[in-house]
This record gives sequence, structure tokens and C-alpha cells, in this order.
Amino acid sequence: MTHTINTLHDFMLRTEGITYILIVVALIGFVVFWRFLTDRDEDGERLGADRPGGHHH
Amino acid sequence: MPEHKFAIQKPALTPFNVVAGIIVVIGVVITGIRFTQGLAATTNLSDYNPWGIWIGFDLLVGVALAAGGYVTSAACYLFGLKRFHSAVRPAILTGFLGYALVVFALHYDVGRPWRLPYPFIVQSGTTSLLFEVAACVALYLTVLFIEFTPAALEWLGLKRARSIVNKLTLVLTIFGVVLSTLHQSSLGALFLIAPSKLHPLWYSPYLALYFFVSSIVAGLSMVIFESTLAHRYFHDKMDAEHLQETDGVALGFGKAAAFVLAGYFVMKVIGLAQTNAWSYLSTGYGLWFLVELLGFVLLPCYTYAIGVREKNLKIIRWTAAWTVLGIVVNRLNVGLIAFNWQLPSSERYFPHWMEIGISVFVITLGVLAYRFIVTHMPILYAHPDYDKH
Repeated sequence: MTHTINTLHDFMLRTEGITYILIVVALIGFVVFWRFLTDRDEDGERLGADRPGGHHH
Repeated sequence: MPEHKFAIQKPALTPFNVVAGIIVVIGVVITGIRFTQGLAATTNLSDYNPWGIWIGFDLLVGVALAAGGYVTSAACYLFGLKRFHSAVRPAILTGFLGYALVVFALHYDVGRPWRLPYPFIVQSGTTSLLFEVAACVALYLTVLFIEFTPAALEWLGLKRARSIVNKLTLVLTIFGVVLSTLHQSSLGALFLIAPSKLHPLWYSPYLALYFFVSSIVAGLSMVIFESTLAHRYFHDKMDAEHLQETDGVALGFGKAAAFVLAGYFVMKVIGLAQTNAWSYLSTGYGLWFLVELLGFVLLPCYTYAIGVREKNLKIIRWTAAWTVLGIVVNRLNVGLIAFNWQLPSSERYFPHWMEIGISVFVITLGVLAYRFIVTHMPILYAHPDYDKH
């Protein structure tokens, strides 16, 4: 797919359009990734918890 | 930490000491050549390539990898994550040595060491990014030195001075974060002046942001990496608190690094969209860019996440080492490999063996200083005569 960019408007339309799509995908992706990263924290041993000793195993 | 541990005498002629000694001797000789016969005798620098690995590696990589100091102290003292407390002193020490060696190595490139204060007294304006970098590095090195002094003062038994410095901890931490934010980003912003020289895949209006965000990743990964090495070689110097907290530090920092890497990856892709540089991805440079982006950003992001999910410290530690390598690759790409990319290969820069020798010499000095300090001062353990702060 080739795009001819003749004007600044063409350039902005293309770059900003792709950027907005990427940002929406990224915002959804961050939530999914955060859940992937932390969903096992709750099962019994919260590694993130500050507690005396602060250790998990 | 029982004192008798320090009384154990090890043989002086260990393989490490011999190799380090040889490197130091060679480094001193090259230093003499550099400062008596100039850059031409020791480097492959030219008018086309006015900086080489003394800037691309020693400075850019050195500053990024020394970010563990501000990252760890901010996590512990600003965000209140006290479970990372045992990691603060080693991180501050690594940061202090890193910055000290950056300044030391800079002399080889700049020359005329007596002109070091010139940015502050003879300069053409405070709007220069280099002035900002010079000011921040000078101030932050001072901050790191003061942050490091409690360990040295405990070692020297100067309790009163130590308690005074301890009261400054929070102020110094805030100051350190502010200064680091400024100069880590400014190092990237330096390249904004050369859009025609830096390859479009690496050039971006977001360069300052890239450098700052990747420095957080570098700091987090370096703390895990350094902790892994310290466990291997200085296990006997660690107290119970340090040994107990180490796994939690690796898991916590690994989780943070995974998320920051995800953000960094998105920013890099958005940067591509903003400069519309997609077409370069199908070139040779594009392939190398993808190696960096997918191999050294997306891959460690994923493996950090897997390591955290599985609570697998081995994966996290290997990922930390890989990420540190990725930071080296990124800084070399921006500073050297993708810089002057349009020059014919005959005009491209490749470091002289003496430049590499000085870089190895500088790293060796850092390792020797780290070993001396960790062996003698309470870095990996809390001194029994003092409360932890």
C-alpha cells in the first residue's frame, strides 16, 4: 500500500491518524498487560505487600 | 556483620587481581599517550566523527546504567516502598561510582582537565543543553557523594557527621530525582540538533523522553543485575535483612521494569508513526532497529512479566542482564551506529584499540572501587552500631 504525501495536511492526516489508533490500542493493551502482570499476586502471597520481613517464600 | 569476616586474608595474586592489574597498567600507559600526544595518537576520531566510544559508551551508557541510584532511592524514600531499603545503598554506590567514572572518562575525550569548571564560568549561554547536562551531572555527582557518605562515615566511626547527613536523605532523594530527570532526558535531547545525521528510525522529537524512560528501565535492571553479581561474589558480606529482601527486590523491580518497558515500546512505535519512518523498516538499518525494538525491548518486557508471574528469579535475573545489554545497544545506536549513517563506509568510525583499552580501564577501576568499598564499608549489611534510615 503506497501513499502519496503532497501536502502537510496529507502528512498530518496520515501520521496523526495512525498515532490515534495506536494510542487506543496501547491504552487497552496496558490494562490487559497489567492484569497479566499482576493477576497471580492475590493468590495467597502478595509479593507487593509491605509487611514485616517483606519476603514471600 | 561480625568483624572477623574482614580479617580473613585472601591471597593477593588471584586471577582477578592479575588481570585487573594488567588492565590498569595498560590503562595508565594509554592515559600517558593520550595526554601527551593528543587524540590523534589514541583515537580514530575525525572531523566527521568528533566523538566515539568515550562518549557513546563511557558517557551515554554510563549515565543510563547509573540510574539505579535515583530509581531505588525514589522507590524507597519517596514512594515509601521500604521493603526495597536494603537495595538503596548498593544502588547509590553503583550510581556514585558510575557518575564519578563518567566524569573521569569525559576528561579523555574533552582533554585539558583544568577547564572542567568552564561551563560555569566561561560559556556562551545557559540555554545550551550541554550546559544543562554539565550542571546536572556536577550537581548530581555531589548529591550521590553525599548520599553515599553515611556508609563511609559509619566505617570511619564518625557518628555525629553521619547523623547530620542522614537527616538530609529525603531532600537529597528529591534533588536526585529532579536532576536525573533533567539530564537523562537532556542527553537524548542533544541529538535533536542533528536530524540530518541521525538515522530517521532513531531520530524522533521524543528522543528526550526515550532517554529518560529507558534510564528508568536501565536503573531497575542494573539494580537486579548488580544484586545478582553481589550475591555471587560478596555473599559473605550480606546480612540477614539483605539476604531476606533480595528476592523481593528482584520481583518488585522486575514487575516495574516490565511495565515501564511496555510503555517505552509503545512510545517508540508512536515515534515511528509521528515521523512516518515506516518505510525504513525494510532496509538494513530497519532490521537492526527491529532487533533493538523487538529483541531488547519487547522480549525483555515479556520475559520480565513471565518471571514475575511465575515468581521465577532466574528468568528475572537473566532478563535484567539482557536489558542492560539492550541499553548499551540503544545508546551505541543513537550515539554511534545510526549517527552519520549516510557517510560512506570508508568515513565511518570504528574505535581505535586504545579507545577500547581506556573504556575497559575505566570499567575495571569501577569494579575495583566497588570491591574495595563493599569489602570495607557497610553497603551490603547494616552497621550494628547504627539504626537503619
